[in-house]
Amino acid sequence: MGFGQFLASPEIKLKVVTYRDVFQNTAQETSRFGEEYERSSAVIKLDLKDIAKLTIKDGETVIVKNSSGKVVVTAMKSDYEESHAGIAYMVNSPWSNSLVPDETGGTGVPKFKDFEVTVQGAKGEKVTGISEIF
Amino acid sequence: MSEYYVCTGCALLCDDIEVETENGKVKTVHAACRKGVARMKGCIDSLECTVDGEKTDVESAIAKAAEILGEAANPLIFGHGNSSSEAQKLSIALAKKVGAYLDDTSSFCQGPIIEAILQEKLKTCTLDDIRHKADVIIFWGADPSNSHPRHLSRYSYFPRGKERQRGWEEDRTAICVDVRKSETAIICGDNRFYKIPMGEDAEFMDALVSALSSKVPKTSFGFDAKKILELANVLKKAKFGVICVGLGLIYSLKDLEPLFRLMDKLNEVSDFNIMPMVGQYNMRGFNQNLYEETGCINRVKYSPESGEAEHGPEFSVVEALRNKTVDAALIIGSDPLSSLPLSVSRYLAEIPLISIDPCRNLTSSRSNVTIPCALGGVEYGGTAVRMDGVDVELKKIIDTDNLPDVEILKKITEAI
Ligand code: SF4
Repeated sequence: MGFGQFLASPEIKLKVVTYRDVFQNTAQETSRFGEEYERSSAVIKLDLKDIAKLTIKDGETVIVKNSSGKVVVTAMKSDYEESHAGIAYMVNSPWSNSLVPDETGGTGVPKFKDFEVTVQGAKGEKVTGISEIF
Repeated sequence: MSEYYVCTGCALLCDDIEVETENGKVKTVHAACRKGVARMKGCIDSLECTVDGEKTDVESAIAKAAEILGEAANPLIFGHGNSSSEAQKLSIALAKKVGAYLDDTSSFCQGPIIEAILQEKLKTCTLDDIRHKADVIIFWGADPSNSHPRHLSRYSYFPRGKERQRGWEEDRTAICVDVRKSETAIICGDNRFYKIPMGEDAEFMDALVSALSSKVPKTSFGFDAKKILELANVLKKAKFGVICVGLGLIYSLKDLEPLFRLMDKLNEVSDFNIMPMVGQYNMRGFNQNLYEETGCINRVKYSPESGEAEHGPEFSVVEALRNKTVDAALIIGSDPLSSLPLSVSRYLAEIPLISIDPCRNLTSSRSNVTIPCALGGVEYGGTAVRMDGVDVELKKIIDTDNLPDVEILKKITEAI
């Protein structure tokens, strides 16, 4: 066991696919500034293998970042998914949109459902609040 | 007889909603899905009428909005998916008057499909046709269980229809093609779920075309050819097939050619239609209204001198903000600071910004002018176009002090 692992939490590179969630959508109808919207939006769903690599537990927070932005969100294991190590799922929200690159190749369409991030355990840091996103 | 209302929670525009009101508020909503119930009950963060962060009356806010739009050289008018067709037409006229960039959400979602349908390049049908006739339904990159919660129960899978009396148990086959096992994929069942790698939809479509042509389908990602041939067999036997196109498919295709090839082949061997899974309740209405006016469905820039409309990706909301070519913005019923990449939308906070919306959102909290409007389908009526192109009349349920967006737009236009 080296000292390295006490210094920094392991960081892994993942691809993100965004999706819609009816519960988050419902919360959005009621309030974009409410707790329920944050709880259902600020989430990244990970494969069990990736959770193990990050040495975190289901429900702990992680830092998700790339050159477009950085957010702290709750890491959860995906419920019923088959193995999808290397790919993470985020519900479409201001949190995922903080990370979507602005490159479009001039098409007017960003890559909402296919972008890269690095993920690292946030060691108990709090989830980024909606008013801190901007 | 009870009175039925229309839910504006998504572009299914369910028209079988019953409500109970109490003290001028919607208290109970029957028949809607949970998202629809939340929509019809309204938000808890109502937008206030403000100019530069100070509360004001609506006339002053309208005057300030008119001043901003009148002074801007290249204003952007964006939103529209949550507005009635009447309001959208006024917004188009306003854009023409001030020489604005004009766009809506379809610009970065269902736009290409709606355009192809309006140009009659893709065969389509109504939701009622699906309910009564569809026997093979493909959800491609679409997860209506989350995005359009009553799609399966009202139209595409569960209901008994005129020619589908035995419903989903015997009469319908639902198929899901997606990169992830969504809730809809689970309903379709493991045998009818085709999990493909990210970005490989075009290749899978071409493999399916091969299989439909009785050739051995090959994919670079080694998808089981037997499974594709089996799928082709099911599609060939369809009496009335439909492909419900979701964002997952649209974002994965560079252009629509693979979908055209698949639809051509499917209609050679069987009968297939496209259903665009439109999100916002009247996005299709905006596309149709602008199409009638300009021949384009979105991404337009009006010349202030000639009133002529130019069209192209450079006039899309995303490119206009990325390239910082606009110098003021009016946002109607939308929250681009939430729905666009922050790397793109951040620029909105640097320019004079006007929001018209019933509720507070990220964009309104950065706006110089905020004007609260009535909630469509609850506090005012008007018409809207369902995802399948059918016109739906919205009905007012309760009163509000807020003006509908159609009135606000009329007043802004008059004041310029
Ligand atoms: S499916 Fe859409 S239109 Fe129907 S009740 Fe739900 S949100 Fe409203």
